[in-house]
Parts: sequence; C-alpha cells; structure tokens
Amino acid sequence: MHRSAYNNPPPAHSPPLHHPVPQHVSTVPQLRSPPPPVPQSQQQSPNSYGYPQQGGGQQAGSGYAHAPFGGFMNDPTAQMGFQMGKTAVAAGQEYIDQNLNRYLNVSALKHYFNVSNSYVASKLFLVFFPWRHRPWSRQQRLSPNGQDGYFLPPREDINSPDMYIPVMAFVTYILLSTLLAGLRGAFHPELLGLTATTAFAVVIFEILGLKLGTYLLSISNESQLLDLVAYSGYKFVGIIVTLVVAETINAGQGTGGLVGWCIFLYAFNANAFFLLRSLKYVLLPDTSPNTASGASYTIARSQRNRRTQFLFFYSYIVQFAFMWILTRQEASPTVAGKAKAA
Amino acid sequence: MLFIPNFGGLFQVAILLVNAIAVLSEDRFLARIGWSNVPTDPGFGGIQETTSVKARTINLITSVRTLMRIPLIFINTVVIIYELVLG
Repeated sequence: MHRSAYNNPPPAHSPPLHHPVPQHVSTVPQLRSPPPPVPQSQQQSPNSYGYPQQGGGQQAGSGYAHAPFGGFMNDPTAQMGFQMGKTAVAAGQEYIDQNLNRYLNVSALKHYFNVSNSYVASKLFLVFFPWRHRPWSRQQRLSPNGQDGYFLPPREDINSPDMYIPVMAFVTYILLSTLLAGLRGAFHPELLGLTATTAFAVVIFEILGLKLGTYLLSISNESQLLDLVAYSGYKFVGIIVTLVVAETINAGQGTGGLVGWCIFLYAFNANAFFLLRSLKYVLLPDTSPNTASGASYTIARSQRNRRTQFLFFYSYIVQFAFMWILTRQEASPTVAGKAKAA
Repeated sequence: MLFIPNFGGLFQVAILLVNAIAVLSEDRFLARIGWSNVPTDPGFGGIQETTSVKARTINLITSVRTLMRIPLIFINTVVIIYELVLG
C-alpha cells in the first residue's frame, strides 16, 4: 500500500534522507506530542504532513519530525488555540529571563565558563607549579569607545580566573571524599550532603573573611565577587591531589603520616603562592596610569604594609587552616585492625 | 571526615557574638574607650577621617548595632522558645 522506507531492523543506520511521500493521509489523529514551538517553520507545516504508517516510532527517517496532526489542525479554532499557546510559552520564557537576570547575572557567568581545553590544562599545571610563571596580570582589552576596558575571557588569557575548574574540583572533591569513606566502610548517604555543606561553608566563610578584610582596610575592590569565589575554589585542586596520593600510598589509613603531610604541604605552598601572585592585583591596587576609575589617591606607607600583610595572611594562614580542615580523613578501621592484629 | 561539623553550634556562637555587639552601651562604654561614632564637627570644616582601620571598625560596629537590633529581637525570641520547648 505504501512504500516502506526501511529495510533494516530498528537500531540500524540512517534511513534515506528524502522525505517519504505521503501515500495515505491518516484520519485518526496520532497522539504524538507536538514539536517545540518553532516560530517560523510551524506556520507552513501542520496541514501538509501526513505520516507514513510505520510500525511504532520510527520517525527518524522523516528528517524533522513534524507532528502528525492530520485532519486535526485544519480546524481554525484549534489553530488559534495553538497560536495562543505558543504566545503564552514565549511570554513565560521572557518573564523567566527577565527575573532570572535580576538575581543571577547569566552573562557574567558565561564569561567564567568560556574555557578551552588548553586553558584548563595549563591552568591546572599553573596551580601546581606557579613558581616559574612570569606575567601574572590579567590582560584587558578596551571596548571600541575606549572608555571601559573589560578583561579577556579565560580562553584567551591564562591569568583570568574561571569557574569551570573550581566547580569541577568542588564536585570531584565531594565525590572523592565520599568514595574514600565508602572504601573504608563508613559510607552513609548523608555523607554526600554533609561534605557538600562543609565545603560550601568553608568557601562562604573565606569569602566573608576576605570581604571583611577588604572593608576594614578600605581596599576598593574592582573585581567581582565571582572572581574571589573562583580563586577560593582553586584550592580544591590541591586538596584532591592530596587525598588521592595520600590515600593510595597510605593504603587507606587516612591522610596523616609522612607522605600525607609532605604532599599536603607542597600543595598548600603551591596554592598559597598562586593566590599571592594572583590576588596581588586584586587586593593591592597598583599605581598604573591606565586605571579607568582615575582614582589616584596616595596610599600611605603603613597602609600598604598592612595590605601586604593581609594578603600574606589570607594566602598562607587562612588557606592552611581551610585546606587542613578539608583534607582530614579518618583512618580505615579494618586496615588498622588488621595491622594491629598482624 | 570532619567529624560532623556542628552547624547548630556555629549558629549559636554567631548569635551570641551579634548579641554581644548589640548590647554594648553607647555612652557608658564605647564613649569611654573612644570608640563612639562621633558626628562631623561643623567647626572643623575638614574631611572626616574614615579610612583608618579603627574608624572603619567603629563604623562597622555601629551599623551592625543599628541594623540587627530588631531582627535580633525576633531571633532571640525564637531561640528562647526553642530552648524552652526542646530543652
């Protein structure tokens, strides 16, 4: 009766790409869900497509799967109802966009996730080995009117902080910590939420402390809050490496011991130096001539010293405390028991 | 892990500290040690120095007191009822 377009069983390769010629227009409306409201192409399609009667759901061959309304869409009131539905969905989408943009700066977030593979690899290497990296300042580019410069995205500037690595490292840390707990037999499902809350609280405390410090020292912070969150998230990379190396070498006896402490101290030093160099441009405003704000106030010598001390305190002491908190793991009870019995 | 961080305890410590800041007496204590928020002297004619650490901490304390007076009443009531009911 009608040409069968497929000679292969269902999980097979691509059927021919031309649209099947409708041989038999169905009068029974096939109840498939309508396609997502595509504004332009929907006008022409609904009346002219019948659907070849295949057995089941093989709509892959028909290219773009237009809904088989058949005789249903010929009704003008149904068409009008469909139009109204489409308008309502568009209006709802716009409402969501407007309100979401008020609470969450989506375009700014997109800037932080604009990364490339080479950036991620070099940044991870930089977090581990920051000692030989030479220029630490973020590059700017002036917008065409020459007034406000904006920072280059992470894809083009290795010194630009991103949110991809911190978010990934955060999630990896939670999963890894829970995995290690499971390997020593102490897993329960609340551990996931507990670890997540703890790590979250650490980040929040750190940002609060940093904000308090910048307020007290009257450091005018031009960079955004997300930059600071990103810088705070880079320590999870070091924490993950510490956990992995220490637990494999210690065979599950926790992150104490010589190896654990050595790798922890190295990761801590690398992270602290990385932060020291990166945050120098954030916390210690330099006297470069092309600051767009034009606020060229003289900073007293003592105040500059205090800011340097604050930066050092934040990079080293605060990070040490938080990294130590996050790398604490218990010793495995079974391994310790076996070692004691042997 | 972290041996179950006590977030309830953390909350209690925070509330205690904020209460401590709020009950400091302005004229009996803060003025005595020179930490009160002096308004600008009109005869001075100059800029009030607000950039030192001490001035900013005084400013912070004053603003915390002003802002948290009323919410603290509610939070303290809630905590009191919680402690009475649940021991």
